[in-house]
Amino acid sequence: MSDSYAIFTDNLGKSFGKMKAVRGLDLAVKPGRITGFLGRNGAGKSTTIKMLLGMMRPTTGEGTVLGKRIDCPRESVEMRRRVAYVSEDKRLYGYMTVEQIIAFTGSFFPGWRPEVAENLLGEYELPRKRKIKALSRGMRTKLALLLAFARRPELVILDEPSEGLDPVGIEQLLRAMAVQCAEGTTVFFSSHQIADVERVADDVCMMEKGKLVLRLSLDEMRKSYRQIDAVFPAAPPELNFRVPGILSVRESGRQLSFLASGDTEAIVDRARDLHAVSVDVAPVGLRDLFLEMVKER
Amino acid sequence: MLWYKSWLETRTRFFIALLGISALCLIRVYIGEIDVFTRLPLLRTVEYRTVLDEGHSMLCFLWMMGVILLTMGGLLREKATGAAPFTLALPVGRPRLLGTRIGMCLAEAVVLAIVPWIVMFLTASVFGEAVSLDQAGFLLALLLSGGMVFFGVALLVSSLVEGEYTAPMVSFGVVFAGLMALNSMSLDKYSPMHFASGGGLIDRHTGLVVGPIPWVHAVEWILLTVFLVAISLFAIQCHEF
Repeated sequence: MSDSYAIFTDNLGKSFGKMKAVRGLDLAVKPGRITGFLGRNGAGKSTTIKMLLGMMRPTTGEGTVLGKRIDCPRESVEMRRRVAYVSEDKRLYGYMTVEQIIAFTGSFFPGWRPEVAENLLGEYELPRKRKIKALSRGMRTKLALLLAFARRPELVILDEPSEGLDPVGIEQLLRAMAVQCAEGTTVFFSSHQIADVERVADDVCMMEKGKLVLRLSLDEMRKSYRQIDAVFPAAPPELNFRVPGILSVRESGRQLSFLASGDTEAIVDRARDLHAVSVDVAPVGLRDLFLEMVKER
Repeated sequence: MLWYKSWLETRTRFFIALLGISALCLIRVYIGEIDVFTRLPLLRTVEYRTVLDEGHSMLCFLWMMGVILLTMGGLLREKATGAAPFTLALPVGRPRLLGTRIGMCLAEAVVLAIVPWIVMFLTASVFGEAVSLDQAGFLLALLLSGGMVFFGVALLVSSLVEGEYTAPMVSFGVVFAGLMALNSMSLDKYSPMHFASGGGLIDRHTGLVVGPIPWVHAVEWILLTVFLVAISLFAIQCHEF
């Protein structure tokens, strides 16, 4: 089962003392796709990624990345030979120059592609001879992405990759992610830029307070999820809307707004039965869905 | 390429330490060999205590500080500077990362002992009387066995204490506190500094080290260092980043 996924976790958990950063996480990332990993600050995204890469040990549960167990140091080394990771900070060795770190990183990966490194070096306009400590944050981010993409990875894990990038840099990043995916690489990235995630991702996983609250494909979201706004002549009868498929209800004056999945027709019919003056059905954006999923429960 | 990384990481500190220690050793031996009032060389054998005793003692102290500074680094320092995730995402196990750092620091530590001794040896030969190679080798063996404990302590501290500058401060504190405690309790014979500087082995009349090299004690200090290295390795493997 776990071998058919690029990333698979079963009841994965991590506690720091009494604080549970990740709780019972069941993650399944399909290979060859771009998966966005969403969640508020402190939701547990970075901790999850660090556990996947063997930087932290899970308190509970288990997981595999490319079929290798994340809690086994030997298998983790084998896995990292096939994985590229760009951390949230994008900090590299300040005492190396750009070309030194490219040579250094390339030496660990037999499938290293110098031509890709060369192309990205030009595209990102990175100065070869400059010390990394003298690079701006945006340049450092671009260099970290170059080092990730040039190693011919089977899986790319990016933690907030667009942080520190200008709009042109973000565009280059999204294009590079699409290119990687077209070459068969699985891309798993966390981001707060929901518009970017919606643009480039095939699947989305959402975390809130250490738990996975949603996992779906964006095609599924576009097809199944709807925002329904119903206006009633008097105070809306919220309790009458106990209909399967309603994920949430929000009341605003005489209007009820529903977030629904599945059979929205039944909800519309129910609203009309209750004498709704008007009923509007609209597709749901990822932003709306995210805000609904992470609102205080 | 991990060796290359370790070299790039430590080379500035290494060259500063090497030049600084060598220069101070040269000055110490030069001044010690020349009578500062008459500007004439001191030719009596007993004056060679300057080279063998004071010169070597000063080298031991400077070497210890140099080695502590060189040993600072590694994953915990990278955690403080933010580069640890990049290192840990490379397909390399933590023992190999630590092993490379140990290898580079040891190589630099050996050079840091030998080169200043060559400088002292040449300075003494040119300005005073030649020191015998046996004597120099004897003192170097003491320094590189007893002194290694300081390397072990610094490695352990850098494997336990986070922060870019915290680890060297703690290392210096631990080493000085330990040496002062041993000294105040008249337990000098258990002090690695006492052993490394040839304490108890130097003849007061000739200023020369006497007797065979105390290999058993040397091995004991090296075994203690190995023990400290093993704890460091365990600490690094358990640490979460």
